[in-house]
Amino acid sequence: MRVPVSWLAEFTEVAATPAEIGDALTRCGFELASIETVPDQGDGPGDTVLDFEITANRPDCLSIRGMAREVALAFRQPFEPRARRRLTPSPNPISLPVTIEAPALCPRYTAALADVRVGPSPPWLAARLHAAGIRAINNVVDVTNYVLVELGHPIHAFDLHQLEGPELRIRQALAGESITTLDGQLRTLTEGMLVIADRSRPQAVAGVMGGLASEVTLSTRTIAIESAYFAPAAVRRTSKRLELSTEASYRFERGADIEAPLVALARVCELLEEIGAGQVTPGFVDVYPTVRGENRVPLRASRVAQLLGQDVPAPEIERILRALGFALVTEPEASTVAWRVAVPSWRGDVTREIDLIEEIARHHGLDRLPVTFPPLTVSPARLDVRLERDAVVRRVAASTGFTECVTFTFIERSAAEPFADASELVAIANPLSETFAVLRPSLIPGLVESVAHNRRRERKDVRLFETGSRFTRTSGESRAIALAWLGSATGLHWSGTDRPADFYDMSGIVEQLGRALGVGVRLEPASSPAMRDGHAALIHASHARGSALVGLVGQLREDLAAAHGVPPAEHLFVAEIDLDAMAALVDLGEHVEVVPLPRHPSVVRDLSLVVPAGLPAATLRATMLANAPETLVNLVEFARYQGKGVPEGHVSLSFRLTFRSPDRTLTDTEVHRAAEAIVAALAAEHGARLR
Amino acid sequence: MPVLPARATPGRLMIDDHAIGQLRADFAAALAAVRTDRDLQALRDRYLGRRGGTVTALYSQIAAAPPDERRRIGQLANELKTWVEDALAERQKAIADLRTAADAIDVTLPGRPRAIGHRHPLTVVRERIESIFAHWGYEILDGPETEDDYHNFEALNMPPEHPARDMQDTLYLAEPLTRRLWSAGASPEASGPATLLRTHTSAMQIRYMESHRPPVRIIAPGRVYRRDSIDVTHTPMFTQIEGLVVGDGVTMADLKGTLTAFLRELFAADARVLFRPSFFPYTEPSAEVLIGCVTCGGAGCQVCKRTGWLEILGCGMVHPAVFEAVGYDAERHTGFAFGVGIERVAMLKYGVDDIRLFYENDMRFLEQFPA
Ligand SMILES: [Zn+2]
Repeated sequence: MRVPVSWLAEFTEVAATPAEIGDALTRCGFELASIETVPDQGDGPGDTVLDFEITANRPDCLSIRGMAREVALAFRQPFEPRARRRLTPSPNPISLPVTIEAPALCPRYTAALADVRVGPSPPWLAARLHAAGIRAINNVVDVTNYVLVELGHPIHAFDLHQLEGPELRIRQALAGESITTLDGQLRTLTEGMLVIADRSRPQAVAGVMGGLASEVTLSTRTIAIESAYFAPAAVRRTSKRLELSTEASYRFERGADIEAPLVALARVCELLEEIGAGQVTPGFVDVYPTVRGENRVPLRASRVAQLLGQDVPAPEIERILRALGFALVTEPEASTVAWRVAVPSWRGDVTREIDLIEEIARHHGLDRLPVTFPPLTVSPARLDVRLERDAVVRRVAASTGFTECVTFTFIERSAAEPFADASELVAIANPLSETFAVLRPSLIPGLVESVAHNRRRERKDVRLFETGSRFTRTSGESRAIALAWLGSATGLHWSGTDRPADFYDMSGIVEQLGRALGVGVRLEPASSPAMRDGHAALIHASHARGSALVGLVGQLREDLAAAHGVPPAEHLFVAEIDLDAMAALVDLGEHVEVVPLPRHPSVVRDLSLVVPAGLPAATLRATMLANAPETLVNLVEFARYQGKGVPEGHVSLSFRLTFRSPDRTLTDTEVHRAAEAIVAALAAEHGARLR
Repeated sequence: MPVLPARATPGRLMIDDHAIGQLRADFAAALAAVRTDRDLQALRDRYLGRRGGTVTALYSQIAAAPPDERRRIGQLANELKTWVEDALAERQKAIADLRTAADAIDVTLPGRPRAIGHRHPLTVVRERIESIFAHWGYEILDGPETEDDYHNFEALNMPPEHPARDMQDTLYLAEPLTRRLWSAGASPEASGPATLLRTHTSAMQIRYMESHRPPVRIIAPGRVYRRDSIDVTHTPMFTQIEGLVVGDGVTMADLKGTLTAFLRELFAADARVLFRPSFFPYTEPSAEVLIGCVTCGGAGCQVCKRTGWLEILGCGMVHPAVFEAVGYDAERHTGFAFGVGIERVAMLKYGVDDIRLFYENDMRFLEQFPA
């Protein structure tokens, strides 16, 4: 809201400098955006313009009058609007029938007629509008805009002779109707939109913009002046649907003053005559079927103190509210100080006690309130297990060399498709662009883009992770961690041990995350449209409480990586784990039950097997476990070999078996027998033989 | 260095225990400094050399001593000589051992790299803020990023057509999404379908109040979404922490105290804090909190647009309509709520002038933050 200081001075004594006014109003809720000096358009002294941000709850301050009221209170000056002309009822009503057909959308409509000589405005008026940021058009339109800025009430003028009838009907638009608005746009109207129509067609979109057909032009001789009150929701809906926001709609949708129409109409008439733009026809129309009832709100001094944490003296409360136009009547019955407060018509935002307390707080000053601490009356809650879990996961990822990323939750549809069926994708109805069209079904696409961003900047070794939500139709919203690994497994070192990362580096991290969360991890070959065939696995997590499919690990399909700019020779490994599915299994050390340390020695046996090359180690492992006695406490692969000495199509795989009994020392014979039984089972089920 | 007492009278040498002790100490110090065979030989010559050797010199003095002293001096000289010879031999062996470690390594070469990742700056700031409030007994909430209109707007005193909805241009889902929600650390429960991406984490506060009676003391961190085009200060996704305190007799003065202490913990113990009236539909009275500019200290600079102040928080007393929506007694209970943008804090704390850096994930940027 641009406020020329000279205009303020027409409502209250202005002794302070513009900077002081800006500062004082900022402290009571109107943030100063800028102070600007505008030269007078003629040879005048020019003016200073204060530009304030007006919050959505204060449409009354979208006016010089409203701002002047705040300034007067802030500087303890009287607020005295200049005496204005009053419209007097004429014995002969004016010749413009007005019918409100939609009283819920238009509770009040006033109008007057004037014969006009359209031409340029006097320089002072044009300068005022210019300072307020409004372009001068002609004297009639300028007067309506002047009153809009000064009183905050939108006014519209029609060329009376362009109105069929002439008459005005305030009604909802009919299906199929359209109007060319003042900006030259042909707009299709829909039912529910409120229009001002003449006998046969819409002449204005109520509260938004007038129609071109009845525009005031140089040839206009008589005008009908509209000063009405339209329901906020109606104007807002229409303005949104037409994608048309104007000075008028901005005010009506925030709530205009239903008592203002006649005052504003009188001010227009006064100004038209004052600048010699026309002669007002005696009389006016005021259709106001349901007069606004008085809005009275109770206020207790004790409640003010209870909310603010400080007593505000009753005279201070009364001073503030009265200056803002509220009328206070002390409640004689009340045991403590209390009032009934009549709310002025322009303060539609004030409906309950708390609204009054805010007014008191604003002008009493927030800086005057004491600084205290709320008492702790409840024992602090324990941390949400999921937050703890996420923190553990982040710590493990970082300590294994992965740097944390944050990527956007919405991604391009094509980036999402390899990770979920098209029917599973959750689309955004009003995305900013196609780049942000769907909610990510997986964290991997965003991570891949971040890896590529770094790779394009000559960063060859990239390890990144992200934790966050992902979305599919079936699963809804779930929390996950994803990791990506490109480049070196170990980092450049003089020992020459450096090598590119491979699948097992990535699956090792998955296993490590499992250990950190206290769950076992089992991998199972998988195929996925996002992964290179034969280089991907499903991740199963297991725990005493059960097991669940929790994710996917593997090498990203080469063409997907290449599409982001990863060179074809470089392999990008990724993993994603559903942390919510994991949460059901995880038990972050809450229920540890210590097992006694073993008191008897263990016996180790190594078995080198020759098995068909395509046989998964997990299958061998399962057979071994199924055929082993309870004394087998550990089983680990320690060598894998293909080549000389191993038949074509076969592989040699070596396992180390550790046997131990909790209550006795095992004999060589029984371990030997156990190993033989295992080998026999492997031979029978998989054709495995000892090497 | 004189080995014998300087005041020894010619013809009558004072070879006493004190002098011998001094001699042993001097030798030990010299021996400790020996690193090479050459040093060792020089030391041997100095003490045992035929001519001028300190110990040798003792023997030449025996003859000049009174007859009753000769035996004693001779004994002392022998003991000393044996001790020096043993010490020299031991040292020689040590030097030899060192030289013969043919498999000695170059310990100055770099160790094998063990990669360490870095936390994202938004996580660093979020965890810092969480720990401040956790210390003050606040519960930390985790909640869904997709919401329904009721929890995101209506229950927060923003009915449909409310102009304040314009302040938060919303991203809507093309079709409603059914989710299972976690309720306060327990198992997930089915919830009504979501229709939008939450514009603030206040929705979690509503969900919390729906299932918990006062007193309430919570913070709700998380990602939030608005339909903003990307520029140096805007992204359509950002991170927020909102807080809520409800109880008997919670006042705006408590709000001032809590947020002043919070900002001083977060920025500087002597940070200047200013409260200024503002408007939010879900709080009343509402305020904006500013801190003295961290860049210029208040003198005025580009960061603070020459005002000396930076907006950092929005806050206010919980609107009674919000309490009514969740079934709290608005007459009995009062409370305050606040919200802070984590990107904003991180930008001010670390001198980041482009919000997009947080989402580009350039490792040259990320690696500047703690592991
Ligand atoms: Zn500054």
